[in-house]
Amino acid sequence: MPHYHPDIDFLTAHVAGTLPLAQSACVAAHLNYCHECRRTVSGLQEVGAALFERVAPEVVSEQLLDMTLARLDEEPPLHFARQQAAGEKTPAILQRLMNGDFADLVWKKVTRKLAISYLRTGDPGHEFALYHIRAGGRIPLHDHCGDEITLVLQGGFSDADGDYHAGDFLFRRSGEEHAPTALQSEDCICLGVLDAPLRFRGWAHRWMNPFVQLRPG
Amino acid sequence: MSPSGSDRQDSSIATPRGDEWSDCLLAIARSADRAAFTRLFRHFAPLIKGFALAGSRLSANHADELVQEVMIKVWQKAAAFDPNKAAASTWIYTIARNCRTDLFRRLQKFDTPLAAEDVAPDGADEEPFEQIQSRRNGQRVRELMAGLPVDQAQILAKVYMEGKSHAEAAAELDLPLGTVKSRVRLALQKLQIQMTA
Ligand SMILES: [Zn+2]
Repeated sequence: MPHYHPDIDFLTAHVAGTLPLAQSACVAAHLNYCHECRRTVSGLQEVGAALFERVAPEVVSEQLLDMTLARLDEEPPLHFARQQAAGEKTPAILQRLMNGDFADLVWKKVTRKLAISYLRTGDPGHEFALYHIRAGGRIPLHDHCGDEITLVLQGGFSDADGDYHAGDFLFRRSGEEHAPTALQSEDCICLGVLDAPLRFRGWAHRWMNPFVQLRPG
Repeated sequence: MSPSGSDRQDSSIATPRGDEWSDCLLAIARSADRAAFTRLFRHFAPLIKGFALAGSRLSANHADELVQEVMIKVWQKAAAFDPNKAAASTWIYTIARNCRTDLFRRLQKFDTPLAAEDVAPDGADEEPFEQIQSRRNGQRVRELMAGLPVDQAQILAKVYMEGKSHAEAAAELDLPLGTVKSRVRLALQKLQIQMTA
């Protein structure tokens, strides 16, 4: 069971459909691990439904009913949301975006211990990327000009504030610095959603900055 | 606006109460019942259109398009509706919300491999106990909603019905963002929504 959760503002915006797509996908992935947040989301959905029942109704013409009835036998479109099978580790939303497994992705090597793979969500304001950190490896100290969400998918990492494991959802505001280190025992894969590029600190890693421009979409 | 009127005193919902709208959905699933669909349409289409026009980001034409799209989806997906899991109105609301999100994105020429229902599925799979809980919560939320202070109800409507972000709601109401967030939280507390963080 995860220990770090999206706060209620995130969950509310997720349910109301107002959260930017990349962030919402990240919340959806957390729900895959988190029974408590699923329960909260179900409650928030009831709030939406209760408001929907009370919305000021608008007049709908008979003609619209007829047009709708005439279209009922149309073939449904071929897009089906993928249902999560019980016990599956990788969240369905990521399986859809990856078209396969972690091993099938193109990984861009940043350091000996760190590789990044960018996934396309179509969100024009956010980068959505997977980080593969080798056991014991660290992501160089960095800060952000924007906000960052991290979701641990496999293994775990630690930083100055604590240890994080699969399912943990972390939100860092712009300006906060950190240098996550993967646990010694296994590799760590996490998902990062950024609304502005990372900035690496420290001489040794400055050279990387031009390579880590934000890639939204 | 409760469809089930008189059998309200029964608060134990171990088995789903037969209510008119669930029955319509079941009839559609069972026998492609167009009369049941028409009853459902007459009740929900005006709500879907009201939902579409709240926040006035859609034209009347787009609102009608949304009504059709949602109701056709209701028809096509009726077999997936499970009255044990959710009230008919909750299920239809989630479909309407997802269709509206997709329509917004289409209008903004947003090119994405994800449909809104990939991100927020309309039927979360939970254990039977959870399902009873969530039906019970749904009933409680509806009862508590009536007692919300106007300013809190107004914010919730902006967020959910008008689809405004907290920041947009703050700008429109000329309130600090922190005030909007705390009003939303207060409202959700009053509705007894459990918060993990
Ligand atoms: Zn959680």
